[in-house]
Amino acid sequence: MHATPRPRRALFLAGAATTALILTGCSGGAEEAEGPVTLTFAASTFGDPGLGPRLQAFVDEFNASQDGVIIEPASVPFPTFGQTVLTQMGGGEGPDLVRFDMPEFSTAAAAGLLEPLDDVIDAAELGLQPGPDEYLFVDDARYGVIHDTSNYVMFYNADLVPEPPTTFDEFLATAQATTQGDVYGLAFRQTQAEENGVWQDIFNYVYGFGGQWSDGENLTLDDPKNIEGLEAFQTMYDADVIPKGADAATFRRMFAQNLVGMELNNGGYVVATKGTNPDLNFSVAPIPFPVRAQGAIMAPIVVNANSEYKEAAYTYIEWMLQPEQQQKLQEALGAASMATPTERSAESLEEMPFLTVFDELTNTSAPQIVVGFGPQTPEIRSIVVREVIAALQGQQTMQEAMERAQAEAEGIVGAP
Amino acid sequence: MIRRFRLGVTARMLIVLVALGLAVFPIYWMFTTALTSDADLFGSQPRLVPDFSQFGVFIEAVTEGRTLRWLLNSTVVATGTTLLALLLGIPLGYALSRFSFWGKAGLALLLLFTQMLPEALLVVPLFSLFRRFDLLDSLPGLVLANTAFVLPIVALILKGAIDGVPRELEEAGRVDGARPLGVLLRINLPLIAPTIAAAAVIAFFHAWNEYVFAVTFIFSREIQPASVGLAGFVGEQGTALQTIMAVAFLFTLPAVVFYLFAQKYVVGGMTAGAVKG
Amino acid sequence: MFLAPAALYIIVFQVIPLLQEIYLSFTRTTLLNPTRSEWVGLANYAHVFSSASFRQTLLTTGVYVVACVVGAVGVGLLVALLLNGKFPGRGVARALITVPWAAPGIATALIAVWMLNPQYGIVTRILRALGVPVGAGGVLDDPAWALPAILATTVWQLFPFVCVVILSALQSVPAELIEAAEMDGAGRLWTFRVVTWQVIKPTVGLLALLMTIWSLRRFELIWLMTRGGPLGSTRTLVIDLYAEAFDAQRLGTAAAIGMVGVLISLIVIAGSRFVGRAAERTPR
Repeated sequence: MHATPRPRRALFLAGAATTALILTGCSGGAEEAEGPVTLTFAASTFGDPGLGPRLQAFVDEFNASQDGVIIEPASVPFPTFGQTVLTQMGGGEGPDLVRFDMPEFSTAAAAGLLEPLDDVIDAAELGLQPGPDEYLFVDDARYGVIHDTSNYVMFYNADLVPEPPTTFDEFLATAQATTQGDVYGLAFRQTQAEENGVWQDIFNYVYGFGGQWSDGENLTLDDPKNIEGLEAFQTMYDADVIPKGADAATFRRMFAQNLVGMELNNGGYVVATKGTNPDLNFSVAPIPFPVRAQGAIMAPIVVNANSEYKEAAYTYIEWMLQPEQQQKLQEALGAASMATPTERSAESLEEMPFLTVFDELTNTSAPQIVVGFGPQTPEIRSIVVREVIAALQGQQTMQEAMERAQAEAEGIVGAP
Repeated sequence: MIRRFRLGVTARMLIVLVALGLAVFPIYWMFTTALTSDADLFGSQPRLVPDFSQFGVFIEAVTEGRTLRWLLNSTVVATGTTLLALLLGIPLGYALSRFSFWGKAGLALLLLFTQMLPEALLVVPLFSLFRRFDLLDSLPGLVLANTAFVLPIVALILKGAIDGVPRELEEAGRVDGARPLGVLLRINLPLIAPTIAAAAVIAFFHAWNEYVFAVTFIFSREIQPASVGLAGFVGEQGTALQTIMAVAFLFTLPAVVFYLFAQKYVVGGMTAGAVKG
Repeated sequence: MFLAPAALYIIVFQVIPLLQEIYLSFTRTTLLNPTRSEWVGLANYAHVFSSASFRQTLLTTGVYVVACVVGAVGVGLLVALLLNGKFPGRGVARALITVPWAAPGIATALIAVWMLNPQYGIVTRILRALGVPVGAGGVLDDPAWALPAILATTVWQLFPFVCVVILSALQSVPAELIEAAEMDGAGRLWTFRVVTWQVIKPTVGLLALLMTIWSLRRFELIWLMTRGGPLGSTRTLVIDLYAEAFDAQRLGTAAAIGMVGVLISLIVIAGSRFVGRAAERTPR
C-alpha cells in the first residue's frame, strides 16, 4: 500500500461478540514522516487506454527524479470522475492533486475546496500563456495552473474525405457524400448517457455560429446566434449522416476503422486514434463554421485544500512547469498545449504535420463553461443538454428548447 | 396417451433449451466479443463464434493489467461482508424469531425498511461517518458499509428459517442444560445450514457487485475492487471494448463459480426461509 | 446479547445516516459543503412536488417496479415449473439457468449496451432482421423502447433467482395430492391452482416483496445504460436522486427525493402481508 501510512490511519476491528469500534494509532496533527511522502493524483487521463500509460510514465519520471515525494495515481474511473472527486473533497478528503475539467474546477474553487496558489505560482516569471491562464482565477485568487489544454478541431479521415470542408454547407455536403453503406460522414454524441460529451459537442456549434452561453453578467442561452448554431447541429443530426445512438466509445473505434469520415474533437484524440490504429490516414483542420471560435478542454491541475502534503504537491507542480518537463508532457499527451509555450520537436512535426493547426487556434478557444457562472455550469449544462436532446428527438424546436432552458436556468442563478 | 406425453416432453425440452439459451447467451457474447477483432466487430455481418487468434486480450488482461489484484480485492470485500453479515445476522435472526422484547415489530419493520434505502442516499453521511472513524480507503471499511446493506435481508431470511425449526427440539436441548447460545449453535445452526448458504450467496453477490461506495470510499489503486476497475476501462478518448469484455467476463466467472458451488445448499435453503416466513 | 451487536450496527450505519438525511431534506446543502446547511423548511419538498418531471419520475418508477416484479416472478415461475419435471439433463439445466444472477451488475450493463448498440449490436441486428422497426438510434435512444429494454435486462438478471427459489419450494408439493387431483379428472391448470399454488404462495409473496425492494433502488444498471434518458423515459427515483445530489450538487433536494422514496417504501411494506404476519407472530 502506501510507503508511508496516513497519519490518521487507524485500525478497525469488528469483534465477534460485540461490534466494538476500537480506534488506535495517533490522532490529529501530522507526525514527522520518515522516508518519502506519498501523494495521490487524480486525473481522468490515467484511465485512458492510450494516454494513461504515457502520463503514468511522466509521473514516474518525477518519482525517480527526487526521493522526498512519491506521486501515485488515485483510483477514480472516468465515468464518475467529477461526482466522485467532489464528493470526496466535500467530505474533507480527496486526492492531493487533481486534474479537473473547467466546470468542476469552477465549482470546487468557489466552494473553497481548492488551495489558492497565488504565493506558489508567479505567472510572469514562469512565462505562463495568458489566454487559458485567465480562467483559473476565482474572486481574484488563483486556484490552479494549466495541466494541458486542447483545442477542438475537425478530425477527418483523409481516405474518405480527400478535401476537408471549409464552410458549413460544404461540411454538410461532405458528410452526406461520405455516408455510404457502413460508412458514416460524421459522428458526435447525442444521448443522455453522455451528458458531458453532448455539452462539449454542441459548444462548438454554438460558438462557431457566433453564439455564447452568457455575456458574462446574464445568461444568454436563448440568443438567436445560439439557436442558429444548435439548429445547424440538428441539421447534421437529421441528415442521417451520423451513427445515431452510438456512444463515443463506439464511434471513435469506428473512426479508427475507416467507418467515420469526420469528427470534431480535441487533441487528446490524436494519441488515442494512433493507439487504436497506427495506420489510419487521418488529419485535422479548423472547424469549418462561420466564426473561428471553438471549445477547448482546459484542464487545470489543482491542490486539494484538504491535503496534508501541500508543500509536496507544490514540488510536483513546480517540477512539471520546468521547460524541459513541459516539453516532455506535451510529447506524452500528443496534441495538447501546455501551461507555458513549448516548441514542438521536429520529429513530432514530421510525424504529425497537422499539430500546428492546434497551436494556431489557442487564441480563439474558450473553456466549456458558462462564463460568469462557472460554479453553476454543471447544472446549466444538465438543463441545456436535456432540452437540446428533446429537440433532437422532435419534441420541440431548438427555439423552444433554449427558451425553456433559459427560463429554468434563470430560476437557478437568479433572473437578471 | 403415451404419444401425447412424449410430445409434451419434447415441447418442454424445446422451451427449456430456449430459456437456457437466453439465460447464457449474454455471457457467451461477452466472451465472444472479447475475442473478436476490431474489423469483425464493426463489420456488416456479426461474428458469431470467438476468434481464438485474439486470445492475447485475456492474457494481457491477466498479466499486464491489475485485473488479478482487483479480483483479489473484490474477493476480500465479498468474503468479509458475507462473514460479518452472517456473524451479526444469525443472532439477530434468532432473537427476532424466538425472543419477545419491546419494539420487536418495530425492529422487523426497520430491517425491511433499510433494504429500501439506496446507497446514493446514504453515501454522503456515511462518508463523514467513516472519515471520523478513519475507515476510508480501506477494505475493512468497505466491508462494513456493504454489511450494513445486506445485514437486514440476511437477518430476515434467517429468521424465517429459524421460525421453521420446531421448538420441541430446542426444548430438548435446554433440558440438557444448554444456554441459548449453545442451543442456537448446536441445534438450530445445523438445521438451517441451507438457508445460511442462501444468505451467504446474497451477501457475497451484493458486495461483489457494489460500485457506489467502492468508488467513493477507496482512493488507492492497490485496493480498488473489480467493479471500480472495470468502470475505469471506459476512457475519455478511447475505450478498449475487447479488454472491457474480457475483464467483465473474468469478473463474472468467480461469481458464477461461487454460485454453482453454493447452489445445492441454496436450493433447499431459500425455501426453508421463505415458506415459513 | 443476541440482539445488541446487530442492532447497534444497524443504528450506527443506517439509522444515524438516515436521520442525517431527514435533517438534510429540510435544508439547503451542497455536496461541496455538506456540513454547512441552511434551514429552509419544506422548500425542497415544495420544489420537488411542483415539478412536472418529478411526477413523470414517480410514474416511471412505478411502471419499472411493477413490471420488474411481474416479469421476474412470472418468467421465473414459468421456467421453474418447466424445470420441475423429470427430463434428461435436468441438473445441468438447473445450474445453467442461474448464470445471469451471478453476473455482476456492471458487467451486465456493459454487455447489454453492446448487444443493443444501434449499429452493431446483435440484438439490434436480430430485431431488424425480423422486421421490427428499430429506429436509427437503436432501442436505448428511443423514449418508447428504452424502458422496455432496461426492463428486459433487469428481468434477465433477476428471473433465475426467482426460478431457483420456486424450484426448491416446489419440492415440498406433495406428489400424492397432485396424483389424487388428477385421478379426480382435474385439469392441469386446476391442479396447479388448487394444489401447487397453495404450497408455493408464501414463497412467491416473499419473492415479490424482495423484487419490489430491489427494483426500487436499482441504480447501476439504469445509470450505465441510459442515465435516465432519453427524455427522462428511464429516470427512476434513484436516478433522480443521484443526478440531484452529484450533478446538481444539491444534497437537500436529493434528500427530499430520497424521503419520498422512503415514504413509498413504507407504504409498500405496510401493504405487504409479510410484515403483517411477522409482527403478528408472537412467541409462545
